[in-house]
Amino acid sequence: MKLSPSNVRSRLTLWYVGVLAALLIAYGIGSLFFLYLNMREQIDHNLLEDMETVEGQIATEPDGSLTLRLHHGDEGDPGLDRFVEIWSPQGKVLYRTPQLEGQALGGPPSAEDARKDVAPVSERLASGFRVRIASSPHHLADRTVILRVAHNEEKMWRELREFATVLLIGLPLGVLLAGFGGYALARKALAPIDAMTRETQKISAEDLGARLSIKNGDDELGRLGTVLNAMLGRLQGAFEQLRRFTADASHELRTPLTAIRSVGEVALQEPKGAAEYRDVIGSMLEEVDRLTRLVESLLVLSRADASRIQLHRADTSLLSVAEEAASTLEVLAEEKQQKIDVEGDGDLVVSADRLILRQAIVNLLDNAIKYSPVGSRILIRVRPGDDKRACLDVIDQGPGIPFEHQPYIFDRFYRVDKSRTREWGGAGLGLSITRWAVEAHRGEILLSSKDGAGCTFRICLPIASDGPNQTAGRVSATPRMGPA
Amino acid sequence: MHEGKGQLRILVVEDEAKVAQALREGLERAKYEVVVASTGEEGFFLVNAEEFDLVILDLMLPGRDGLQVLSTLRKRGMQTPVLILTARDAVEDRVLGLDKGADDYLVKPFAFPELLARVRALLRRGRSEQAVPLRLADLEMDVTSRKARRSGRYLELTAREFELLEYLLRHREQIVSREMLARDVWKETRATPIDNVIDVHINRLRRKVDEPFDPKLIHTVRGVGFVLREES
Repeated sequence: MKLSPSNVRSRLTLWYVGVLAALLIAYGIGSLFFLYLNMREQIDHNLLEDMETVEGQIATEPDGSLTLRLHHGDEGDPGLDRFVEIWSPQGKVLYRTPQLEGQALGGPPSAEDARKDVAPVSERLASGFRVRIASSPHHLADRTVILRVAHNEEKMWRELREFATVLLIGLPLGVLLAGFGGYALARKALAPIDAMTRETQKISAEDLGARLSIKNGDDELGRLGTVLNAMLGRLQGAFEQLRRFTADASHELRTPLTAIRSVGEVALQEPKGAAEYRDVIGSMLEEVDRLTRLVESLLVLSRADASRIQLHRADTSLLSVAEEAASTLEVLAEEKQQKIDVEGDGDLVVSADRLILRQAIVNLLDNAIKYSPVGSRILIRVRPGDDKRACLDVIDQGPGIPFEHQPYIFDRFYRVDKSRTREWGGAGLGLSITRWAVEAHRGEILLSSKDGAGCTFRICLPIASDGPNQTAGRVSATPRMGPA
Repeated sequence: MHEGKGQLRILVVEDEAKVAQALREGLERAKYEVVVASTGEEGFFLVNAEEFDLVILDLMLPGRDGLQVLSTLRKRGMQTPVLILTARDAVEDRVLGLDKGADDYLVKPFAFPELLARVRALLRRGRSEQAVPLRLADLEMDVTSRKARRSGRYLELTAREFELLEYLLRHREQIVSREMLARDVWKETRATPIDNVIDVHINRLRRKVDEPFDPKLIHTVRGVGFVLREES
């Protein structure tokens, strides 16, 4: 793989190297400074010791001048590392180490210097030497003098320079090595992603059954793989559903088309009377109506899928909508000597598009009437549910829905009894539309049924928030027009 | 409008030959004079050259889009009512059509009785609705007292049955589709399955209005709908 800032491995390595270099530079500077402080402290400590030694060595010559006299046990010639100067408070040099060759250790003393010790300071001599100088007043028998002791700093600076040189050579080398190491590590860490990429490339719409292999489900890559696999599962489900839907839809379209065609062809086989032709045309138009309804239902669902149906919501009493639905379908129940009872809490108010909600309830009730035996009772009950919801149950005493069909009952075109095809409106879209209607209202629809013991469809909708909030304010986008 | 000249003239702009032919025949049977244009250009030319009482305009046309024809017409200040036909069921398309100055729309495939009803409504527009006496043969209805009589005998009708009979009577001698009934009498959307409900109500109405009397007034037109008329 090429080293370009656009691939993750190179970017990771660059970041890693950059951060490491910054850390190492900071660490090097810190070490140098710490070393410098340490060495200077050592020098200062030595200066103070030397100061005491020198104080003991001061002797007055017979001519009144001062000199240093080495006692037994004192260190030998201090050589070029230690220098001494003695000043009178008036600024006269009383003694100066010969090695200084006349160079002054700083200027004449100030009045301050005569009174107390002065902390060591670094100075550069005229010859370019860097020295550390301490100053202290000293009391002789007859007078006070100012004592200055200095240490050569050149050694310290040399050591610091050497240390810095080592750092400067070692640091880039270390960073370079770490860079290679980091690149190799990144490659190793990212290798499973490359593998996953190759695996994913092989999965296409035609072959959604394949899944990514997951070595360790607990690490980041394992989780990514699990999530991808779950997505593939959903995609596969959706594709499967689409395939089934297309097959079912064309089947449903083909059935009325076949009827139209054969009815027409048979009618034209031999001449008939006007009444018979009228009957044939009427029969064909019935099938056309079936086709039209099917296409319209499909359109409703496809627009619902695309969320293009606007709900015109208003605060609505769930019970009153149920009563409307019941009164609309009451005649159908009467024909079968069935009784529809609507009961419950009329104060449960939901924010709903009345027409669409009523259509959902009518669909459920229509099924209940259709599948319940003659003389049975259908109950619609409205009551409060959990989670601030209002629930509506449609309870029938029909044959119920076998358990194995229940998960699919809301699927498009799904039919429990495949032979029911020809029954009116039996395209198997009613419950799909109902479910869409309920879910569009942020509600939930459930079915509970025992084989042979009737079934209960339950719609639960969020209760409208308190107060007279007019969510109905939205203007209808579909002006209703019709013959006057 | 050609109030005094007898037949009303309708221009049909429709490129689909079969549909155009069906529209021509159906409208002529309903005693309108029909001119058919098969392209937008032709329709545009005709509407400029001649006078019509109503234009039925297909939205998807070769040459010149139906919406363009419509907006050009309206820009020129022509007030002829326009009924658009569209296969596009999307709400935006309808709104667009109405914005451009259409008076009404129908989505294909439409039922012919529905088209006739819309045409009548559009042609009636602007004229004060003459108070049609709600009467056919020996059937009479009084909307204010909500009473219906046949041969002088009061009929016991439920509220829904009354509304249904009233609708049929207002559209007497015109075929009324189940879709029209669902929408105008039951105020339901098309997707709600209430055709069975309508059929049951028609049967009950028949029992009350027709069974004890002659002649029969409520007739089923198979595959199309119902009609209230006195058959010879």
